[in-house]
Amino acid sequence: MSAFNSSAPPSKYVTLVSSEGFEFVVLRQATYCSPTIKKMLDPNHQWAEAKAGRCVFPEISGVVLEKVVEYMQYWYAYREKEDVPDMHIPVDICLELLQAADFLGMDQ
Amino acid sequence: MAHRQGRIRPPRRQPLLGRGANGVINDEFEPCWDLLKQALVDIHRKDAGKLSFEQLYRASYKIVLRKKGDVLYDHVKDFEESWFREHVIPRIEVLLSRNLLSITLVNQPNSNSSTTERRELGEKFLKGIRDAWEDHNLAMNMTADVLMYLDRTYSSESGRPSLWATTIGLFRDSILRARLGSMNRELDANTTIFDVVTAVMLDLINLERDGDVIDRSLVHAIANMLDTLYETNDELENQRLYLTVFEPALVAAAREYYQKEAQTLVRESDASNWLRHTKHRLDQEYERCQTTLIPSSTKPLAKIVEEELIAAHLKEFLEMEASGLKVMIDHDRIEDLAILYELVHRIDDKVTPLKDRIQTRVMELGLEIEQVLKKTDFSLPQAGAGEGNDDATAKPQPLNQAAQQTAAAIKWVDDVLSLKDKFDNLLDKCFDNNLVLHSAITKSFADFINMFARCSEYVSLFIDENLKRGIRGKTEAEVDVVLDKAIVLLRYLADKDLFERYYQKHLGRRLLQGKSESQEAEKEMISRMKQAMGNTFTSKFEGMFKDMELSHDLSNGYREYVRGLGEVDNAKIDLNIHVLTTNNWPPEVMGRSTKDNEQGQVHFPPNITQLKDSFFKYYLKNRSGRVLTWVATAGTADIKCIFPKIPGKETGPLSKERRYELNVSTFGMIVLLLFNSLPLGSSLSLGEIQEKTNIPVSDLTRTLASISLAPKSRVLTKDGNPKKVDKNDNFTFNASFVSKTIRIKAPTINSASKVEADDERKETEKKNDQTRAHIIDAAIVRIMKQRKTLSHTNLVSEVITQLATRFKPDVPMVKTRIEDLLTREYLERMEDGTTYQYLA
Repeated sequence: MSAFNSSAPPSKYVTLVSSEGFEFVVLRQATYCSPTIKKMLDPNHQWAEAKAGRCVFPEISGVVLEKVVEYMQYWYAYREKEDVPDMHIPVDICLELLQAADFLGMDQ
Repeated sequence: MAHRQGRIRPPRRQPLLGRGANGVINDEFEPCWDLLKQALVDIHRKDAGKLSFEQLYRASYKIVLRKKGDVLYDHVKDFEESWFREHVIPRIEVLLSRNLLSITLVNQPNSNSSTTERRELGEKFLKGIRDAWEDHNLAMNMTADVLMYLDRTYSSESGRPSLWATTIGLFRDSILRARLGSMNRELDANTTIFDVVTAVMLDLINLERDGDVIDRSLVHAIANMLDTLYETNDELENQRLYLTVFEPALVAAAREYYQKEAQTLVRESDASNWLRHTKHRLDQEYERCQTTLIPSSTKPLAKIVEEELIAAHLKEFLEMEASGLKVMIDHDRIEDLAILYELVHRIDDKVTPLKDRIQTRVMELGLEIEQVLKKTDFSLPQAGAGEGNDDATAKPQPLNQAAQQTAAAIKWVDDVLSLKDKFDNLLDKCFDNNLVLHSAITKSFADFINMFARCSEYVSLFIDENLKRGIRGKTEAEVDVVLDKAIVLLRYLADKDLFERYYQKHLGRRLLQGKSESQEAEKEMISRMKQAMGNTFTSKFEGMFKDMELSHDLSNGYREYVRGLGEVDNAKIDLNIHVLTTNNWPPEVMGRSTKDNEQGQVHFPPNITQLKDSFFKYYLKNRSGRVLTWVATAGTADIKCIFPKIPGKETGPLSKERRYELNVSTFGMIVLLLFNSLPLGSSLSLGEIQEKTNIPVSDLTRTLASISLAPKSRVLTKDGNPKKVDKNDNFTFNASFVSKTIRIKAPTINSASKVEADDERKETEKKNDQTRAHIIDAAIVRIMKQRKTLSHTNLVSEVITQLATRFKPDVPMVKTRIEDLLTREYLERMEDGTTYQYLA
């Protein structure tokens, strides 16, 4: 199976790309916050994203993706801690952020 | 954190749709589905590397948002079904060769094809199934990932099984449950591929059981497949195909296999082999479940092996003539027994079959000891019997009756102890110190020991023998071991009161005759008995020790007292006295036997009487109101004798006067003092001596025997039979007595603790029964006093429980005691005839 062709372990970082082409390099573990991205990068299935380590989201704007990435880091940093500080969400991108969250399966 | 309750919905209006950057995606269903369909083909062809997950996901996402989830669901399902029809099933059908089917389903293993052929065909088929499954599984995983939004929203909302479950279930419906009826007329029309899979799997497993090497990972893969698939798409946890279909078949096949194997084993093998084989099988099945099948099968399969290989023929194996349990025990086959225990313990927590047989064997071995004892000839001195002199003459002297009995007792105890050691060893090494077995063995020991009528006496004799000489030269630890052994036996005895009586008797002799080897060991023994039996049991023995100590002080005190009086001529006789409390000492020692009472006191010579009175006076100084009875039977005396020069002898020992110190029993002293007052050469008949001394005839006979028969202490000569003392014999002072040593000990005939003769034993038992009668009386009265009224059965059972620690009262005896108490008006029968009332 092609999954085991790449002998080197996958990089610790992956690149997330917004509709405008903004690139965010994020810790791979942090992106697993989104089930959608996690499956996208599943090394056993070898989708194009998994091979390249690069996920393009043509329908998520840079502003929103930035906030998503911020949340991913936030989720990763505090994943096993209690008493976590609140994260600031700007009101103006709320709706778009919700849509992105649904798309990425981050509502569970 | 963002993990809140409930789901956040995107707005129904879809501002994003149609705004796709690359233009591939718009809001129409068809383009999206076309994209997905092409992707599904690529996925099946393992060509997904060029596909963008994001794109596919977005396509399905949009379809779902457009409320077309149901259509997508059906489309995908249809696609997969047709894919199966066109691409997968044909590949499987190729594998289902006629040959395979006839081998696996029709003829079963007895076909004329070789095992290798069979195995290869089967493995090839399974490989095909596995490959198809793995492909399908991977494809369905990927599909499910792409369509995850569908499963997340549509499937769960509509109540349909997830798409994943449905598509993975297709494998079960389209392949496993495909019917073969059309392909092979010999087969039942309902036979499915699943049946073939199961048959091949079981055949492979059986081949492995037979020692063949099979592709374990292959079987494991299929087992895992069956464990992943469910009966229905609802995927209920207990509906795994492995559990519902395969495992029952597996268990049935295993049962059939092991049934046959067990029969072969019974016919052709022995128990030892069987044990090892069964253990091996258990390990094998365990390992098989861990590595080749699913671990959850471990228990059912182990159960089959247990039932078929262990339980079904356990009896046959245990009773095998040449290798069964009996032989294992007799030859201490530790390893066999350990496995046996392990196996039996698996099928039965209480190990009943093993327990029963071990008990029987213990009983048999125990009774064998008794049989051997009866057959053994103790008339020759035996090693360890302690009675035969090793340095004696070349031909061993026959032992006398008493010593033979003692030797028998020691042998009995040794045998019982070694049997006990044997079973303790087995218990420790093989039976995991199992409590059930432990108590069963203990019970059997108690049973056979108590079936032996003389057990109490023999145990006491064993202790006596050890305390007298057995522990000489032994270290403290060794002594401990001996004492422990004695206590072990003691615990088994049911009639502890009988033992108490014997022990009292033997201890009495040891103390009075100074035969005890070590005061410390004696005390240790008592304290151990106290621990094991309780305070009351040993109170008499402790009393005896106390008496001994008091007597020692008393003797010293008297000596001081006499010196103070200055009665010089009486100082010639040195008195060492034992003042014994009547109840603590055995009646034999105390001279309380019936004969003495009839005949009254022995006549002591005047100087002894004087001494007696003088001591009594001293004794009463501090203890007024007491009565001392003088018991001559147990005492000894040292006498200085002067044998005159024999006229006419000029050389040799007889030519001079000889002084000897003679140690004789008290009676011996009385008899010898009698001759003091007679002129040299005159004789007395036994009757005359008896008359003058009033010593009971039996004691007198023994006394005379010790000083007139034994060659080393023949101070008196007699006429008549030189081997035996007879009523009509006449005794004369042996003036020409010669001895090499100055100190001479006249053998005391009854000194050796010996086993009683039968009539003596009956006597003891009679006495014991009398004592028991009183104890039972007391128990009855105690109970009735408390209860006032009680039915007959209750009373009897309560008496028996109360006395169980001391002895086992037999019911008729209890009954007669109740009758007796009725006549003595302690109790009264109530109107109904079965209840008693206590009369104060």
